[in-house]
Amino acid sequence: MAPGFFDRESTVAPPGYDRFLVPPAALAVHLAIGQAYAFSTFNLPLTKVLGITHAAADDWKLAEVGWTFSIAIVLLGLSAAVFGRWVERVGPRKAMFTAALCFSGGFMIAALGIHYHQIFLLYLGYGVLGGCGLGIGYIAPVSTLIKWFPDRPGMATGMAIMGFGGGALIAAPLSLRLMEHFRSTVSNGVLETFVTMGVMYFMFMMIGVIAVRVPADDWRPAGWTATEKPQQMVTRANVSVDVAWRTPQFWLLWGVLCMNVTAGIGVLGTASPMIQEIFPGRVTPEAAAGFVGLLSLFNMAGRFIWAAASDHLGRRTTYMIFFLFGIVLYSLLPSLGHLGSTGWFVAAFAVIISMYGGGFATIPAYLRDMFGPMNVGAIHGRLLTAWAVAGVLGPQLVNYIRQFQMERGIPRAQAYSVTLYLMCGILLVGFLCNLAMRPVEERHHFKPAGPGKSA
Amino acid sequence: MKLRLLLLWLAVGVPLAWGIAKTVQNALKLFH
Repeated sequence: MAPGFFDRESTVAPPGYDRFLVPPAALAVHLAIGQAYAFSTFNLPLTKVLGITHAAADDWKLAEVGWTFSIAIVLLGLSAAVFGRWVERVGPRKAMFTAALCFSGGFMIAALGIHYHQIFLLYLGYGVLGGCGLGIGYIAPVSTLIKWFPDRPGMATGMAIMGFGGGALIAAPLSLRLMEHFRSTVSNGVLETFVTMGVMYFMFMMIGVIAVRVPADDWRPAGWTATEKPQQMVTRANVSVDVAWRTPQFWLLWGVLCMNVTAGIGVLGTASPMIQEIFPGRVTPEAAAGFVGLLSLFNMAGRFIWAAASDHLGRRTTYMIFFLFGIVLYSLLPSLGHLGSTGWFVAAFAVIISMYGGGFATIPAYLRDMFGPMNVGAIHGRLLTAWAVAGVLGPQLVNYIRQFQMERGIPRAQAYSVTLYLMCGILLVGFLCNLAMRPVEERHHFKPAGPGKSA
Repeated sequence: MKLRLLLLWLAVGVPLAWGIAKTVQNALKLFH
């Protein structure tokens, strides 16, 4: 039977195919699902669905709405872990199509939730179904890109994962414009915006579904051969996903990702109130929104720049820089705040967030270096549970410590100092995990079944 | 192939450039 359009066999590239056609296919998916980072633009409008111009008594509370994003991020990690093997087996096209259905379907079910004013439909739609779309869409193109760019895996995956950061830059102004467009006397525009975005993102993700190709098994970049010189931290073997997650290396990398994300996501979520409270009277809410926008830019740029640089620096060294430089910068932030140095504070924060983004984008290539390319997508999927944990841990830590400090009578401007020093401690744990990384033992390497042997 | 490459990169590049421009516009408020 001839393979169907969505089957892996239909996506094998013909000889002479230009591999630079593949990154935009991956970007189409990542730019779409990166919308999740801009979900906060819906927070306030979702609390005024009934009151339209103000929050009515029966309207949802901000805390209730806030759970939607948390559910989506937890489901991102869980679905990436659960569906990683399936994504590897069926190939990127079917996986990306499934992601498009889930992500867009999530918007539609959430819109129904807004229409009937049932918050569980919002959670089920955007949080659960949309979250599955995020997880599957996030890992779908990663192993494909690594196979297309064995000479520059960091740059290739950095390009795609940069899209996840860039998605918020598109979604934030787009959501605001759409809500403005659909606002009327009977609606604040958020329901219509959800439906429109569901359709738009489905179509945009289909660009990636149609364009994606996998290389033939024997394909190599022209003029490139795998280096003969053995590199200690780059394996030439493969480790299967079921073995990989039982190795210490997997859990050390889990710790590396979890600590890097926890340190970044916690302060990223409170960046706007933080800068206003550290520099009272000097940073307006509008300027603080600009600060958040600037951080988003550095988050996106860091994904590409750091991941591409890791191809030359080595993955371990790149993470060493993230952790050590991060500790130095985090420890300087309270002093910069006390000195009233807004410019340096913003600059230090921007570099920290670039390394937060870089941590996400460099991890697939680090996994490929440690476990080989065979199951890297599925292993990456399982590692993303670290993101789910950090997504809950980071913001909770920051908010709890700030609240605790303020209850003890510490001025608002100084309430963040302990948090920032705690981030140094978190980064130190990540540094130690990275320091302990060693090549995977040979006994874990995958041995293909030869004639008369079983795998 | 070259035309397809150009179209694909434009399809993802134009929305991204628009998003970046809007964000930069917003970020400039920080320095005013």
